[in-house]
Amino acid sequence: MPSANSFTEIGRRPVGAAWTVERRSRLAAHLFTLAFLLAWWAYSLVVPAFVLPGPVPVAVRLFQFFTTYNLYKQALASLEHIAAGIAISFVVGSVLAFLAHYVPVLRLAIHGRLSPFLNSFSGIGWTLLSIVWFGVNEFTIVFAITVVLTPFAIINMREGLETLDRELLEMAASFTRSRWRQFIRIVLPGLVPFVFATLRISFGVSWKVALGAELFGGRTGLGYLFNLAQQNFDVRLILVVIVIIIAFVYGTDRLVFAPLQARFGRAEAGLA
Amino acid sequence: MTIRARLSERAIADGLVVAAIAGWWLLSLQLPEFLMPSPWQVATRLVDLFVTPSLLADVAASAARVVTAVALATILGAILALIPYRWPVADAIVRDRITPFLNSFPSVGWAILAMIWLGTTDAAVLFVEVVILTPFCLINLLEGLKELDGELIEMGASFTRHRGRHFWKLVAPMLLPYVMSAVRIAYGVGWKIALVAELFGVSSGLGYLMLKAEIVSDAATVYATCFAIVLLFIAGEKLIIDPLSRVIAYR
Repeated sequence: MPSANSFTEIGRRPVGAAWTVERRSRLAAHLFTLAFLLAWWAYSLVVPAFVLPGPVPVAVRLFQFFTTYNLYKQALASLEHIAAGIAISFVVGSVLAFLAHYVPVLRLAIHGRLSPFLNSFSGIGWTLLSIVWFGVNEFTIVFAITVVLTPFAIINMREGLETLDRELLEMAASFTRSRWRQFIRIVLPGLVPFVFATLRISFGVSWKVALGAELFGGRTGLGYLFNLAQQNFDVRLILVVIVIIIAFVYGTDRLVFAPLQARFGRAEAGLA
Repeated sequence: MTIRARLSERAIADGLVVAAIAGWWLLSLQLPEFLMPSPWQVATRLVDLFVTPSLLADVAASAARVVTAVALATILGAILALIPYRWPVADAIVRDRITPFLNSFPSVGWAILAMIWLGTTDAAVLFVEVVILTPFCLINLLEGLKELDGELIEMGASFTRHRGRHFWKLVAPMLLPYVMSAVRIAYGVGWKIALVAELFGVSSGLGYLMLKAEIVSDAATVYATCFAIVLLFIAGEKLIIDPLSRVIAYR
């Protein structure tokens, strides 16, 4: 409980009472979910189905989605685009951050020129430009995702390199003259939390970029399904894709990244 | 760092920019115009965007939408963040339901739904921008409320029992830096998603301009719109956001 009210309440009452506040809060959240679904259902009765289909038809369609190979395949295609984009941007961003760190002459060029430039261009801008350059294909999608994610990787890895414990580095230097060994034994392990932070942020951002890129520049992926659904006014399919994305993004963040980060690192650098 | 090292750092950084523009220019000589317009063509188009009245109207429409959306999203985010502060029971509703829902909802999804629900209107664009920006503000302000100085709050509680007074004299001023950083983040994201929101059917703004140019393969305008957004973003940050945050820090 972060609020001041509950803080004073905890002070005044026995511990059991605070536990009850938390439990009541969780109950309220479940009721909220229920109320949300009910409101959605009630509203869907009033408006025509092409404006807002109810939760039941959407759930049915969601089930069909995972039993229809063709639709299922699109979700896999999106995953591939995202995985490729995250992997390439992580490597490129890390290399640039390392370069700036170990070759100080390049620092301004990378952190003061390249990274702000990449960061200030919008994802859709990159998508439309890469459509002009490469046409409507897979490469365009992966390129757009990669370019958008790269500055996130640069900024996060820079943060990691700059917060490395200076005393630890000095100690390492007193133990061995081999810079390579210092790098492998001290620098890399120190960077692990930032690697996870980078991947977590990249994952969150990549979905949003991927959808836009696939919508305008792809013939595969969930974004392409958006495109089809929009042309056919198939709001059910649009909602199904949205539900899948929310569930997947939130689920992966909670079930994969949060435990990994809790296990390997404490850094939350640059999450904002 | 010695002066010489600093000078060469500078030279490499600026050299990179010059080399990039030179490389672009050389490429534009080899490639057809619809693929790679020359830097000069893009520069002229960029100037056009800010001097031709009809194009300036599009720029102004986008800017007005971004500013309005940032303001609305900050207000909405503040209201949502304050609900669990006032009623701790609602904590899980805001933190575990509304925040992750808004945060992982794909922005393109909002854009398409808004088009279906609200048609191709200004309201639809504004709705999309507000709903995308709100989670950024909400997360920042929730964080801010978490970091509030507990001892100061207790001291305040010992001075007055009046909730409103307590809030406006203590909580609000302490929250102000977080409001500012929420505005800053929302503003940065706002310009990027303005394009997404405007690409779907509305007939004014830079996103509309960009899509129109894309359809007729007018690459110079696509480039120019991208650069215009970068320029507008930097201008707004330097002219509005930075002075504003200085004023707040000074208090």
